[in-house]
Amino acid sequence: MSAVLPNNAPPAMQESPGLWTLAWRRLLNDRVGMVCLAIVATYLAMMLASYAGIVARDWNKEKGVSYANPSFMAGAENLEAREVTNKDFGSKAKPVDLSDIDPLAPRYKEWEERAAKIAVTEVKRAETLPFGGDKWGRDVLEKAIKGSEVSIFVGLTAALFATLIGTVLGAMAGYWGGRVNDFLEWFYNIFTSIPYILLILAFAAVFKRGLDTIIVILALTGWTGIYRLVRAEYIKHCGREYVKAAQAIGASHLSRMFVHILPNASHVILVQLSQHVVSFIKAEVILSFLGLGVPVDMVSWGTMLAEAQNELVIGKWWQLFAAGASMAILVTAFSMLTDSLRDALDPKLK
Amino acid sequence: MTAYVIRRMWQMIPTLAGVILLIFFLFNWVGGDPAQVLAGKISNPEQIANIRKQLGVDQPYWYQLWVFVQQVFTFDFGRSWSTNEEVSRILLTRVGPTLTIMVPVLLIETVLAVVFAIMVAYVRGSLTDRTIMVICTTAMSISFLVYIIFGQWLFGFILGWFPVQGWSESYWRNLTTYAPLPIMLAIFVGLAPQLRLYRSFFLEEINQDYVRTARAKGLPEKKVMMKHVLRNALIPILTNVGIYLPSVFVGSFLLEVFFSIPGLGREIVTAVNRSDFPVIKAVTVYLAMLTMIVNLLVDVMYKLVDPRVSFK
Amino acid sequence: MATEQNLLQVRDLRVTFRIDRHTSFEAVKGVSFDIPTHRTVALVGESGSGKSVTAMSILGLLPENATIPAASRILYGSEDLLKATPERLQAIRGKDISVIFQEPMTSLNPVFPVGEQIGEVLRLHMGMSPKAAAARAVELLSEVGIPDPQLRVRSFPHEMSGGQQQRVMIAMAIACEPKLLIADEPTTALDVTIQKQILELVARLQERHHMSVLFITHDLGVVGEIADRVVVMQNGEIQEQGAVKDIFERPQHPYTKALLECRPRLDRRPMRLPVIDDFMKGGGAANYDERPRGVKESDAVILEARALNKTFFLKEGLFGKRAVTAVKDVNFRLAKGKTLGLVGESGSGKTTVGLTLMRLHDATSGEVLFEGKNLLSLSDREMMAYRRRIQIIFQNPYASLNPRFTVGNILTEPMKIHGIGRDQKERVDMAFQLLARVGLPESSFYKYPHEFSGGQRQRIAIARCLTMKPDVLICDESVSALDVSVQAQVLNLLQDLQDEYGLSYIFISHDLAVVKYISDEIMVMNQGEIVEIANADEIYLNPGQEYTRKLLASIPKGWDATRAAA
Repeated sequence: MSAVLPNNAPPAMQESPGLWTLAWRRLLNDRVGMVCLAIVATYLAMMLASYAGIVARDWNKEKGVSYANPSFMAGAENLEAREVTNKDFGSKAKPVDLSDIDPLAPRYKEWEERAAKIAVTEVKRAETLPFGGDKWGRDVLEKAIKGSEVSIFVGLTAALFATLIGTVLGAMAGYWGGRVNDFLEWFYNIFTSIPYILLILAFAAVFKRGLDTIIVILALTGWTGIYRLVRAEYIKHCGREYVKAAQAIGASHLSRMFVHILPNASHVILVQLSQHVVSFIKAEVILSFLGLGVPVDMVSWGTMLAEAQNELVIGKWWQLFAAGASMAILVTAFSMLTDSLRDALDPKLK
Repeated sequence: MTAYVIRRMWQMIPTLAGVILLIFFLFNWVGGDPAQVLAGKISNPEQIANIRKQLGVDQPYWYQLWVFVQQVFTFDFGRSWSTNEEVSRILLTRVGPTLTIMVPVLLIETVLAVVFAIMVAYVRGSLTDRTIMVICTTAMSISFLVYIIFGQWLFGFILGWFPVQGWSESYWRNLTTYAPLPIMLAIFVGLAPQLRLYRSFFLEEINQDYVRTARAKGLPEKKVMMKHVLRNALIPILTNVGIYLPSVFVGSFLLEVFFSIPGLGREIVTAVNRSDFPVIKAVTVYLAMLTMIVNLLVDVMYKLVDPRVSFK
Repeated sequence: MATEQNLLQVRDLRVTFRIDRHTSFEAVKGVSFDIPTHRTVALVGESGSGKSVTAMSILGLLPENATIPAASRILYGSEDLLKATPERLQAIRGKDISVIFQEPMTSLNPVFPVGEQIGEVLRLHMGMSPKAAAARAVELLSEVGIPDPQLRVRSFPHEMSGGQQQRVMIAMAIACEPKLLIADEPTTALDVTIQKQILELVARLQERHHMSVLFITHDLGVVGEIADRVVVMQNGEIQEQGAVKDIFERPQHPYTKALLECRPRLDRRPMRLPVIDDFMKGGGAANYDERPRGVKESDAVILEARALNKTFFLKEGLFGKRAVTAVKDVNFRLAKGKTLGLVGESGSGKTTVGLTLMRLHDATSGEVLFEGKNLLSLSDREMMAYRRRIQIIFQNPYASLNPRFTVGNILTEPMKIHGIGRDQKERVDMAFQLLARVGLPESSFYKYPHEFSGGQRQRIAIARCLTMKPDVLICDESVSALDVSVQAQVLNLLQDLQDEYGLSYIFISHDLAVVKYISDEIMVMNQGEIVEIANADEIYLNPGQEYTRKLLASIPKGWDATRAAA
């Protein structure tokens, strides 16, 4: 080990595997983790395909009869189809006039026009659809795909923003301490002293409905947990000797915050990001269900579940199943992937 | 101890001020002109001016803030914009049903989660443990909505064990007839994540040195778990319950909406849908205050569980 | 001695740890030794020697991923403990065989009073009533030398000092009059004066209760003081075992010889410390000539601290703050090219002094003069020029290198910051030269810190400092976390660098022997104040203060021929 060794071995010019490479190798060895990663990747690919219009472009088309049966139970009777058709769902009469308190009132006209356009292109309606139809005869499978696109997009984007806010604030509080920390802790205390769900609803109350606002709402209310963890990580690492050594060699504050400490806290941030995607997907579903989420002319798992609520009673289970299952599969895979990530990134292995 | 409590109360003042500012910022600034919202389609400028005057939003911001602060400390938020009911009355009458559901949920869920978690931690690494963990992860992934829709349909419509929805004037009848199904569903949904979390608390403690000491003393494994590990794991469990405690008052608004329970949660959702700002503002401010007090109580209770905590 | 009976016989013990599905690691490879009744057996070895694993196998306290083959036996009387049922083991643990551990703070349950934790054993094994157990706990606390035992039974572990916590552990261990006490590095986490007290306590109790003791330690000095028999382990194997006299006076195995010689001694100061390779290759130590040490009045001063103070503030009460003085009125001079040793126990403020000198902490008041310039009054920009001239090497080699940087990054970063070297290529060349200088292969440049051992990491940390060509190097417990043999290598490296570059060192350590070896001048600190400063030899031969004498007296002396006679 002493001074004899050098110079006789030619230097291997390749970098050794870093901690990221090692973590990736550990993940590759984790069979459950890889299966989950594959599932998540499939969903993401589906989301992109749907966004690009390759699949489920016509989700809003009324292709089948009302509550069309799934193809695999083609023989079953479909009473509602006739009933609804008879009722003439072109009827535009509104049951109650809420327009004086309805914030959406100005847009009704616009939607009516849009609906009218769709109605014109009516074609012959199918008796069965691959996974059944909804009340308007839209393909549930396509709705579920389009719904995944919206739900995953919201979850991912909101989680990215929340992580960004939480990381920057947490890094500042943990690194600088003192006044900066006091101020940010005050800010944190304000946000956490309001029960989370209430905070979301309060934000939802003042913002207009829309895809972008739901992302903003989730990001603005969801950063606190990440902030807390990143702050703790920074406090821990600031006390570590390698950071003191960086200070001793004269590394600047920015360098210490982002070049030295950030990579060492990144595993925590990554796991948090992953967890927040899951919880934001769940939150989006609930908000959309309550009508506080995505606008009515879009579909998400939440709006599907809202419709499914009444369908179950009349025995039309497929929309509930499609939305519930596609969400459950993604969320299970994502959660288990998070666990695998945590194991793979565990820096205890030194 | 007294000094500690006083200092903590003192520290609450800036937080409360921040909460008031945040809510003011949200509803009086971001929220836009409530008169526009209320007047709706008949946007007669005269009417709008009238409503603005009625609501006081024609005043400068500092004056509106002052009114808001007064409202907070006099417990008088005026009347609801949509039902004209007094806000304080709304809060007081809606809390009861929410607590009827949530207190049993919290108690039963915590006890069950602790018991199951210690059992799972005892057989850690075994097939049972791993199976239960996979079931938990999967169970957690299904939306609460699916559980409620399915549960209501199965137990209410198909099996008819419980009424599908409803609420009465009698507390006892509520607790025995209307509450069980929502309580059961809430526990069913809440158990999996808590079980996972508490299991990790137990496992964390099992790896501590003092557990090795307890074994070296010759204590049987069960005693090690039930005495040494449990007692220490109670500390993070208490923190966790403390975090969830305030949301007991918000209640599960989903359950309340589905089962037509006239609780705070449903009230909030209705208020949000109707842009009924006074109700939301009042609920948010008071729940924030309550949260701060609950947090203080939890910290004081810490002393009972953790002798290392000092009130200096 | 020939007639003595064996309490415990370990035969061909092998322990394998399963790391993951594909890999496993054999920590103990066929170990056999005996523990005679009423005797102390010391199990000595460096980290990774398998000594603790061996001891923990006796009571079946190994982690769950450990496996022991059926051929291994640990005989307690005629009973094989490795085949005993869990219930039988539980009956033996704490009653016939008990254990004390290295970290008393974490080994005691934080939420129960110490009296309850002692009483628990008595109720369990002796069938005592809670009342009788509580009363007996008081007696036991008094026996292990805890003042006010009636009061202290109700204390919680965190309300006691480290030494007292270890006494409580001992009280718990001897409560049921065990036949064997296993002491797993019981004094490693304690200050040297406390270590002495605990060692004396264990020896006294062994005598009084006729116990056998299995004492696990890395410190041969301790072994020489307490053991009757010694078992030397290395890499899971026994290298040598025998009576303590034989091991110390006539060591047979080169590893034993090396262990005995690598450790700096208070009475000798060779030019270079012998290192393990010298012995393993068969030869003796290279250069045993004494190195002259000391500072003269005429020596040039490179760094001077004047009236240095550092006070921390803790929040207390309603709005109150409590001041804790960590460093109080410290004055000293560091001569150019010499080493100033800074010794003290934990909490003496020695590390704070080091950090304050470098402005890694802000001093409360005082001056630090570097070539006549007060560093503490410089702006951050002005300080940059001086930063590179004073560098520091920390204690924990596992924490002082950024795990996400390659060694190449670690070495070139300071050169970039200070504009050393014209371009990246020149910096890389310099990094390669420095790696060679500290005795690491060139391939290290591309590796990450986790691929190196503790001693190698300390070399990397030293190389990082050298990139800046500093004048003053502060070594903050830099060799304390290293094994004896590695310690000697790093000390030699530091000495070589001083001889070569004329570096001045401030060497901070709790280990008097190491400080005495490496220093020209020694400064003793206690509770934030300087007790005395004097030339190294003078302090050792002629301590001026009572505290210094106490410190010196507490150092384990190793084998003392007079003990054999007694």
